[in-house]
Amino acid sequence: MFSKPKNPLYTSVTRRKFLELGGGAATALGVGSMAVGLNTVIMKSPVQAASSDDAKWKQYAGSKLVFLSENTPPTIALKEKLKPFYDKTGITVEIITDDLPVVSQKMGIDLRAGKADFILEYVQDKPIGAPYAEYFLDLNKYINDSSLPQDPEGYGKDAWFDNYLDISCYYYDRDHLRALPYDSAVACMFYRQDLFEQYTKEFEKEFGYRMEYTKDSTWKNVHDFASFFTKMRKGGKAVPYGYAQHQGNFAWTTQLDIQRHLFSHGRWTDFNVDDKIGSKTPGPTNWGDPTSVFQMQKFKELADVSHPDNLANGTLELNTVYQAGEIAMQVQYNEFAASVEDPKTSKAAGGKTAYAPCPKGEASWIKNGGQAVNGCNAGIAGIGINANGSEDMRRAGYLFSIWVTSTETQFDQLKGTGGTPTRKAVLQKPEVKAAQQRPTSMPNALTFDAVYNYGIKDPHFVLGPKLPEANEYYNIIAAETQKCLSNKQSAAEACKAIKKRVDNLNGI
Amino acid sequence: MVTAVTEVKAKSPTLVSKLDDVDLKARTLDFTPSVMNSVQKKYFYLWLILPAVVVLAAISLYPFFWLIWMSLNDVGINTSSAFVGLKNFTRLLGDDKFWNGWQILLTYSALCLVFEIIIGVFIAVVINGTRFENILVTIFLMPMMMAPAIAGLIWYFLFNSTFGWYHWFLHSIGILGDTSIIGSTDTALFGLVIVDIWQWTPLITLITLAGMKRVPRDQLEANMVDGANAFSNFIQITLPNIYPFLLIGIMLRFMDNFRFIDVILALTGGGPADSTNILPVYLFEVSFRYFKLGRGAAIALTLLVVTIILGKILVRVFEGPASKRIDVGN
Repeated sequence: MFSKPKNPLYTSVTRRKFLELGGGAATALGVGSMAVGLNTVIMKSPVQAASSDDAKWKQYAGSKLVFLSENTPPTIALKEKLKPFYDKTGITVEIITDDLPVVSQKMGIDLRAGKADFILEYVQDKPIGAPYAEYFLDLNKYINDSSLPQDPEGYGKDAWFDNYLDISCYYYDRDHLRALPYDSAVACMFYRQDLFEQYTKEFEKEFGYRMEYTKDSTWKNVHDFASFFTKMRKGGKAVPYGYAQHQGNFAWTTQLDIQRHLFSHGRWTDFNVDDKIGSKTPGPTNWGDPTSVFQMQKFKELADVSHPDNLANGTLELNTVYQAGEIAMQVQYNEFAASVEDPKTSKAAGGKTAYAPCPKGEASWIKNGGQAVNGCNAGIAGIGINANGSEDMRRAGYLFSIWVTSTETQFDQLKGTGGTPTRKAVLQKPEVKAAQQRPTSMPNALTFDAVYNYGIKDPHFVLGPKLPEANEYYNIIAAETQKCLSNKQSAAEACKAIKKRVDNLNGI
Repeated sequence: MVTAVTEVKAKSPTLVSKLDDVDLKARTLDFTPSVMNSVQKKYFYLWLILPAVVVLAAISLYPFFWLIWMSLNDVGINTSSAFVGLKNFTRLLGDDKFWNGWQILLTYSALCLVFEIIIGVFIAVVINGTRFENILVTIFLMPMMMAPAIAGLIWYFLFNSTFGWYHWFLHSIGILGDTSIIGSTDTALFGLVIVDIWQWTPLITLITLAGMKRVPRDQLEANMVDGANAFSNFIQITLPNIYPFLLIGIMLRFMDNFRFIDVILALTGGGPADSTNILPVYLFEVSFRYFKLGRGAAIALTLLVVTIILGKILVRVFEGPASKRIDVGN
């Protein structure tokens, strides 16, 4: 069918040669696709200060960035809403999500190895920000760079909710801005208003006051409510347990759980340092003092009237228990409101749940002469840029950082699967104001009054401790507290053990 | 084989010289190119094994010596490190979690081994030679095929007190209260042991079954003629014969329990209150949660040394009786 010329210009390809070529091509393709698939790729078009805003946004068109984040509702929502960023910049962003401990491990390996496989990092305030702070770029450098676009609302203290810059962006000093506030989970009280109304008379007969939860409700009231429900449950009545704690295997939230209790009673903190900035040399801990021992005992008494599987319930499991209708109250992070209000998965949906600030300290339980406050804490993450990256990688990363923390993007996320805004301007939007009342299409907005107008403000907000050894610190608190709750040691022994181990950790 | 060759030589004398020639070449094994001089020939084999040595060094020896170096240095999240001598080791002496980790590891390993051997051998004895042996073995092996991390997550859901089917069942028949098996410091370790038994007993069953196929039938029959019942037959004949096989199973499971942490991380994370924080989990925590790589290296080295010593002891304990019993069997 085909004729071969007598003196062809081409030479025939031998089988060996063919295999060599094929092998070489496959190797090159494999290596190339791995490089393109896994890592940040940078394409560049130079711009000047006088260039148009559009040109500044598009100066890295064709590039690819990788963002490593915890699998939080805002990030999950963001994954579906990256097209506007691509349209604006021509940059593709790959978001890799995982549980926070895994994110922390992957990030630690990347940062310590001097690599930048993940140029954009989820800087969760204490578990990630505190130990790795110096690996994140100081963003002050780009905030004043006229060849980069900037957010018109700026990045000052007033642009964000109270304390947010301190919580997620400054570590050990206020000279270096290590991140921009990206998402937030602030603790507040979720409680079954329907059950409170149903049983208030019976409760009043036993305890002498109405079963109502307000911002003035104290930890003692919570103990009363919890014991009332639990007693009924153990008596065979089909009611939930009263309360449950975050005492599962996620050490950080376990520490936060008892921290709220302690701070409420006289604004007790772990160390005598500026709690919002943290310290690399925090000195001796306050654990073991009379306040900590007394509050540990009260915390234990609350555990005794709480859900019996307390020690297996981390934050996520606790919310599942609440959704299943197994408890009447939980102090939970406000990002979970969307799941609680979902009638497909939650028995507490449909207007049964009300949201309020965390419980207040009981005046008679305060031992240090301090103030009774509604001790509230949070997990607030910034978006940071890996300082190991090249200058162009960092600049491209900055474009994403300011886009994702802009008011419009956060508003868009809030309309999705449960955003948690960090910019104040989001709450000024009429749709968001309206969404704070039922019926609402943005369930997380039901918590905004409790968290943004109350919980995160001083004097209620507690942050720390920000320490380079934060992750080991949480494990110590969690393990010793759990031993106390499971009757393996007394409150005094637990506090003494924490004191000994924490001081040892900090070289005291 | 030797008999066969002798027979061939006897029947066909013409082949003798050729077979002897092959035999001679095979014995001398001189494959060096004939153009090489004696010095080149001397180093020829060294060049041949060099790639294998380099690969071995890269994947095994280099990390080992790096581990030793790290254990003598303060290596943390910062890239700088400082020589601290034996400080990482001496610190372990006063580390309660380190000793607690050993205690729980030994308890956990012992419980897993004992139950897996008893149940695994029992299942093998019951199904050996039955009509459904093949299908049953296939079914029993299924848990073993599962990645330990996935197994951990599955059991996490099964044990959960809110939606876990196993918890619901055990709660319904009154064995468990409202507290899940992994939610109590008293029972969490047993939860892990149950998962390990579920996943790895089939390995013991498989190894035992392989051993049982090698038990000489004539010995069994002779013993029965002497009046032994099935149980006596198992104790007197089968068990001594499967002993070397069981030793392999015990060694494998012993080493696995010192290495595998996937299930524990997925199921309890070492809690509650460190009640399931076996030493390998603590090692992972120190190295990759706290990024105290020097301290982690010291823990890893102690784990390595103790594992080798315990492994040797285990082999000594089991090897003696095993060899004696094989002699009896033969």
